[in-house]
Amino acid sequence: MAAPRFAIVGLGMVTGPYPEGITARAAEAEAARLAIADAGLRREDIDGAVQLRRTAGGGERTPWADAFTRMLGLPAKFFYTVGRGGALAGLGIMTAMGSLDLGIAKYVMLAGAVEDWTSSQRTKKQGFRGMVHSEKAGYWGKPFGDLRAPSHHSFLAARHMHEYGTTSRQLGAIAVQERAWACQNPLAKMYGRPITVEDHQSSPFVVEPYHLLDICLVSDGAVAFILTTAERARGLAKKPVYVRGLGMGEVADELWWEKKNYTHMAVRTAKEQAFAQAGITLGDVDVAQLYDCFTAEVLFQLEDYGWAKKGEGGPFVEAGNIGPGGSIPVNTSGGLLSAYHYGDLTGLSEAVLQLRGDAGERQVPGAEIALVTGHGGELISPGMCSIHTSLVLGV
Amino acid sequence: MTYAKPLPNVDDDSRPQWEGFKQRKFLLFRCKTCGKWYWPKSFCREHENEPFFGNLAWTEASGRGKVFAFNVHHMAFHPGFKDEIPYVYALVELDEGPLFGTNIVGIDPKDVRVGMPVEVTYEDITPEWTLPKFRPAR
Repeated sequence: MAAPRFAIVGLGMVTGPYPEGITARAAEAEAARLAIADAGLRREDIDGAVQLRRTAGGGERTPWADAFTRMLGLPAKFFYTVGRGGALAGLGIMTAMGSLDLGIAKYVMLAGAVEDWTSSQRTKKQGFRGMVHSEKAGYWGKPFGDLRAPSHHSFLAARHMHEYGTTSRQLGAIAVQERAWACQNPLAKMYGRPITVEDHQSSPFVVEPYHLLDICLVSDGAVAFILTTAERARGLAKKPVYVRGLGMGEVADELWWEKKNYTHMAVRTAKEQAFAQAGITLGDVDVAQLYDCFTAEVLFQLEDYGWAKKGEGGPFVEAGNIGPGGSIPVNTSGGLLSAYHYGDLTGLSEAVLQLRGDAGERQVPGAEIALVTGHGGELISPGMCSIHTSLVLGV
Repeated sequence: MTYAKPLPNVDDDSRPQWEGFKQRKFLLFRCKTCGKWYWPKSFCREHENEPFFGNLAWTEASGRGKVFAFNVHHMAFHPGFKDEIPYVYALVELDEGPLFGTNIVGIDPKDVRVGMPVEVTYEDITPEWTLPKFRPAR
């Protein structure tokens, strides 16, 4: 295992819903301000910036990209926008490491924000159910009623059920355990609202086989973090959280052609690369933040990473392995399902808190290695949620 | 009466296929070199390709297949679908190989099964647009 070369040194979070008049831009600027203060840096130290923006699926390329560093008040030498659906943090870190490595920047601010809750409240008044997000040219399914992520993501659950006999109750066990974590996170939207598998089963079908409680939240919020070299990280205010491994996978590499991208995610190469760089095996992961836009994605990853054999994720989650007190704590903030949906920035922010030992009631004792995954794609073709990013953080 | 549901989002890569639907032709993208079928538009994976997809062309296919995976929409995300729910959106594994996203119509959603043989049926929604939906094979 090579010594880690890069570290996260500052974290800022803003949770929604936003007060009247606060936009995603403003929230992003506030998160960046908090991250700078958290690191013990000054604004003038930030010389590079990466805007993390969900570009597909639930989001779209921002029309106000040029405002990023102006809004943040950062004297950065450069900024650019990165994102593939919910895969933001892993891609952002991959590119930011290049600028640090080349000496182009010393401290890079990576920040992202969503205003999905605000926009869903707006489109609701226009007669839509929630926010609208299928206006991209070439988006296939719109005239067939494929209008929201559950319209195509539910194929994944349906296909896994067909091939392996996975049940809705088993998917419900994922929702229940993530909710149990959320009940230990005062910032989580669903804090103080525990659920049972019966609650999951009696929640209405949205897109069958998905019940309402299989589906992630719609959120406002922002996360910002600062990446620098391991050397610079040592003298700063907070314990550095090192980037120990980073890997990438695409379903088009194999799964799309084999029609397995409805029962698997593109974990294979992403895991191999990230775990090899980190010099770890699965048993070394103390806490896992797995991208959980829907319950089945969590199930797939538990199998694809190897916590359960392929097809046996259902019994694995039913046995309570991922909740508080389970064998592998998963999505300890409550995740996208029960805390807040900022793409993989939800998992990244939680991993940083866990590794610093700052996760309060839900702290996983002695957590030293965290896995954070990202997931996303253009959805031009139905169900091809393409990229998988695997990020290993450690202290 | 105005058509109240969303119209297709067509780009220049998918436009020829939509023109085909209008003429009751079910076009897929096919390699002229090896005969392999693709959807959506792709380079052929089997060998080196000619410049700008020169060895591939939109080609009429059978419009038949089997249900690979399906879901049932119980909520209308768009107000135009309020009268349609519950409706079935599915991936059909075409006889030529590709998976195709479409509605399954002409059957009670409760009776749809994975593996069920289906065939294309065209629905002219406006003078400009025709949707390729699938129904149980006859």
